[in-house]
Amino acid sequence: MSDSQEYYAGVDIGSAFIKAVLVSHKQIVASEILASGGNYKKTARRVLDEVLSKARVSLEKLSGIVVTGIGAESAPFPARQFSDISCQAMGCHCLFPSARTVIDIGGQFTKVAKLTPKGRIANFLMSEKCATGSGRFLQVIARILRIDMEDIGLLSLKSQTPVEFSTNCAVFAESETVSRIAEGARMEDILAGVHHAMAAKVAMLVKRLKMEPDVVLTGGGSEDIGLVLAVSETLGVKVLVPEQPRLTAAMGAACWAEEGKH
Amino acid sequence: MPFAGIDIGSTMTKVVIVDRNGIVVASVIGPTGAEHRHLALEVMDETIKKAGLTFEQLDFIVSTGYGRMNVPFNDKQITEITCHSRSIRALFPTVRIIIDIGGQDSKGIKLNSEGKVMNFIMNDKCAAGTGRFLEVIAETLGIKLTEMGELSLKAKEYVKISNTCTVFAEHEVTTRLTDGATIPEIVAGLHEAFAGRVVNMVRNLGIEKDVVVTGGGAKNIGLIKAIEDKVGFPVLVPPEPLLTGALGAALLGRDFVARGITPERERRLEGVTFFK
Repeated sequence: MSDSQEYYAGVDIGSAFIKAVLVSHKQIVASEILASGGNYKKTARRVLDEVLSKARVSLEKLSGIVVTGIGAESAPFPARQFSDISCQAMGCHCLFPSARTVIDIGGQFTKVAKLTPKGRIANFLMSEKCATGSGRFLQVIARILRIDMEDIGLLSLKSQTPVEFSTNCAVFAESETVSRIAEGARMEDILAGVHHAMAAKVAMLVKRLKMEPDVVLTGGGSEDIGLVLAVSETLGVKVLVPEQPRLTAAMGAACWAEEGKH
Repeated sequence: MPFAGIDIGSTMTKVVIVDRNGIVVASVIGPTGAEHRHLALEVMDETIKKAGLTFEQLDFIVSTGYGRMNVPFNDKQITEITCHSRSIRALFPTVRIIIDIGGQDSKGIKLNSEGKVMNFIMNDKCAAGTGRFLEVIAETLGIKLTEMGELSLKAKEYVKISNTCTVFAEHEVTTRLTDGATIPEIVAGLHEAFAGRVVNMVRNLGIEKDVVVTGGGAKNIGLIKAIEDKVGFPVLVPPEPLLTGALGAALLGRDFVARGITPERERRLEGVTFFK
């Protein structure tokens, strides 16, 4: 590594995982994810140390750090704080400069942001009223089907005739799932049906913001290939997915650190 | 001359038999399972026995409720909106608004001074504001649905439940518990949220006196009180709020026969096909 190269770190202190990304010229140099545990300060420090040692960069050589996430206040090192929404947007922008719409499907909420060509937030919407548009819906159904969340995506791709749920309510769909299983519905058809219901709900949010391509899908939901395809089909556009969707906010934080210097 | 009404709701199947004067001679309430037809047959059979009648003696059978098409032995299917308004007209002629709170839906029905349906509104899209909301959260709290009403009356104040979605409210409730709220306070908060949602829906019809509450929700005294708080005056509750749909169906059958309409086809109680 040449000494003249400048490095910037982004640390995303989430309630479940703490993520760090090291960038140089907005390219990922190294990254690390660790379970948050009970002590955010300790884990955040460890994640940063890990990412630095992976890249063989010392803390002193870091030109800037930005922290984000629910635990941003607990950062044990001097750093600027950015909101997770703006970091998510910036992360997607750095990975996909053509991105104008970012959909983040999380465990509780689904967020949709419109981006400017520079990766700033132009408009923003969040669904927090109804579980159907969030990962929670899939969790509820996965629990009934006794299937791991990671297995849902591939299994759903086998579906030939997705179940059409008569409601869009996660609670009603839960009991409907039980009756459908009793009637002999296949697991993959139920899962594909859930994906379609979720995609319809997400599409409603996206349309309210007036979708503009390219569309990026991030958050835990983007790790579910069945859901990604359902969203793409419902919106009628191709959907870009980061290789490591959990890292986009940390990546964005690092990019903000780098932008701040110029 | 007996007339039967059968109401297959999402949660309960109800049968009422009335005599030539429209007086109830027997009624049975059973749970609705996945096999509507099977249940319809069983509950009907039990009611007939209770009334000391035979199936052949029934002059008219009307089915209603969301499973009304799954009654192979009916003479007519009629929507629950019409059935509810028919029985409420008989029970409470002053009523202008019916609020029916079922296991998986809730409805508002507006009647004119003659008891005719002028308008109605319904929610079966979202569990919030239906019996399912309380059912799910009762399970989370480890209490019985049937004891929620009495429990909530013990609370001096209620805990505000800010989530509309049942799934999120479930989580909110556990958080409130760890914050130190008592179960009665939480249940009172659930009733407040529930009543707010249902009454807001019915407001679209224009709320007018008198208001009657029917369906399983009407058996919850805490919910009734919360609804009264929202509408601003006391509401009426039928003696057996679960039976208004089936009673209305039976009375409508009696109306048909009085107008000279008789069953068109021969029906048999045995003519029932089971799933699988």
